[in-house]
Amino acid sequence: MSKLVELKQISKEYGNKKVLHDISLTIEENQVIAFLGGNGTGKSTILRIISSLERPSSGKVVYPNKSLRIGYVPDRFPKMLRFTPGEYLHYVGRIGGISKEDLNKRIPDLLHRFQLEVMNHKWIMHLSKGNIQKVGIIQAILQKPDLFILDEPISGLDVHAQQELVNIVKEFKKQGSTILLTYHESHKFDDVIETTYYLHHGMISKNNMLAKKQIKLIEVKKIDELIVKQWDEVLHMENKENRLLLYVGLENSDTILSRVLQLQGSIDSVSTIVVDENNQIG
Amino acid sequence: MKELVKYSLYDYIRSNKYFPPVSTYFIFIFVFYTYKPNPVISSYAITALILYIVSVWLCISILSLDAPIQKQMIILHLKSRNRYYLSKLMSVWLVAMVLTVYAFLYPIVFDMFKEPVTLTTGFVSLTNHILLATLGICVASLFSKGLMDNPVNSYGGLSLIVILSIAALGIYNVLPPTFQNIVWILPPSVITQTPLSNWSGENISDLSIFPFVWIIIYSLLLVVLFLKLAKRK
Repeated sequence: MSKLVELKQISKEYGNKKVLHDISLTIEENQVIAFLGGNGTGKSTILRIISSLERPSSGKVVYPNKSLRIGYVPDRFPKMLRFTPGEYLHYVGRIGGISKEDLNKRIPDLLHRFQLEVMNHKWIMHLSKGNIQKVGIIQAILQKPDLFILDEPISGLDVHAQQELVNIVKEFKKQGSTILLTYHESHKFDDVIETTYYLHHGMISKNNMLAKKQIKLIEVKKIDELIVKQWDEVLHMENKENRLLLYVGLENSDTILSRVLQLQGSIDSVSTIVVDENNQIG
Repeated sequence: MKELVKYSLYDYIRSNKYFPPVSTYFIFIFVFYTYKPNPVISSYAITALILYIVSVWLCISILSLDAPIQKQMIILHLKSRNRYYLSKLMSVWLVAMVLTVYAFLYPIVFDMFKEPVTLTTGFVSLTNHILLATLGICVASLFSKGLMDNPVNSYGGLSLIVILSIAALGIYNVLPPTFQNIVWILPPSVITQTPLSNWSGENISDLSIFPFVWIIIYSLLLVVLFLKLAKRK
């Protein structure tokens, strides 16, 4: 599988608030990836950085294929649009370089799939939240994207539109696209998601730190950071004043401790982290 | 780019935000030519200077049309931030050109001048309108919503620059000789006024071309600066 996007040590800050911490991630073609986490954990920020809509405060985003087509569905599609869905999609398609002939075939088909054709005489600003969200989804798939990014796409959508979106995700997956999405309290995408990343306090992990209620925090010294990076058991690592803070699942803590001792590192402390109901580490 | 220009112009018309600047200019021209006859060159020089101010207004209103997310969506489809902003500036420029044509033709059609508009005076006056409209757009772009989050800085800063640029000749005269060159930093909105008022209109070679070229250079520098700043946002 070839790489679509590579994030290299991405951090993002808004003022004094650090939203993403040192995230490195490779996104390959033909994957369906979910980014999950609580509110304010950086899910939308990471999607916006991947889609090039936002710049990271530090780190690098690499797109090996410069002509990568990205379709992006924002969590809140702009409301103040003084165009009908058909007009807007036509302009967006033409701006994106799609021919008039293709648009004349594709737009009516997509409006029909999302049951928007009956609304096609109204300006988008006069549509309901759910219908505006449908326009947001259609504009992202007009170009048949290589990378289809959806930020909480199902909020406000009716059941039919939710199912249609799941079908579209499956269709794009079949065609070889990669789909990145984030959502809350929904199981609609459960059977299509292949990989899930969990975001917590701006850190990313393939393991759901919240699901495992107990995590060991091991503070070590005199250990090479690069060696630790190769240890899959470490859920997350932070470098603080010559110490490495290793977040490890309870079941792997003994393995990590013995490795640290074998490498003649010193262990400063070992503590158990409790995750409370508000997703705060205590 | 052509499609984005069309999109922006349609959106501007439907938003009705064109009405205040466009109607202001139409009314100004109408009132300005209430009495006749008028001198050709100096009348056109004044309507061009007012067009500079109205172009500033047009630019601010067009660049504030797209909500931030909408702007990002279009940039993603267009795959170029520069092309997005250039299309927006082009849209403003086209609206300003409609006003230019109106300012140029109104006094001719309604016979408001004391002498006929020759090919030479017409060409120079039309060019002056186009250049000052372009300058106004370029100046305003630096204070637009996309670059300045605080509306006080945006409108306050822009008003100050526009006023200072119009008062540049007066500022130049009151400054001590060592500081007079500071005026060159200001947008050259009145730089063509003196040469035009001293010009008989008979021969184009009697007119200094430098002020016109300087407006072009200054506008180009502003566009480059605008694109660079917009990229960093």
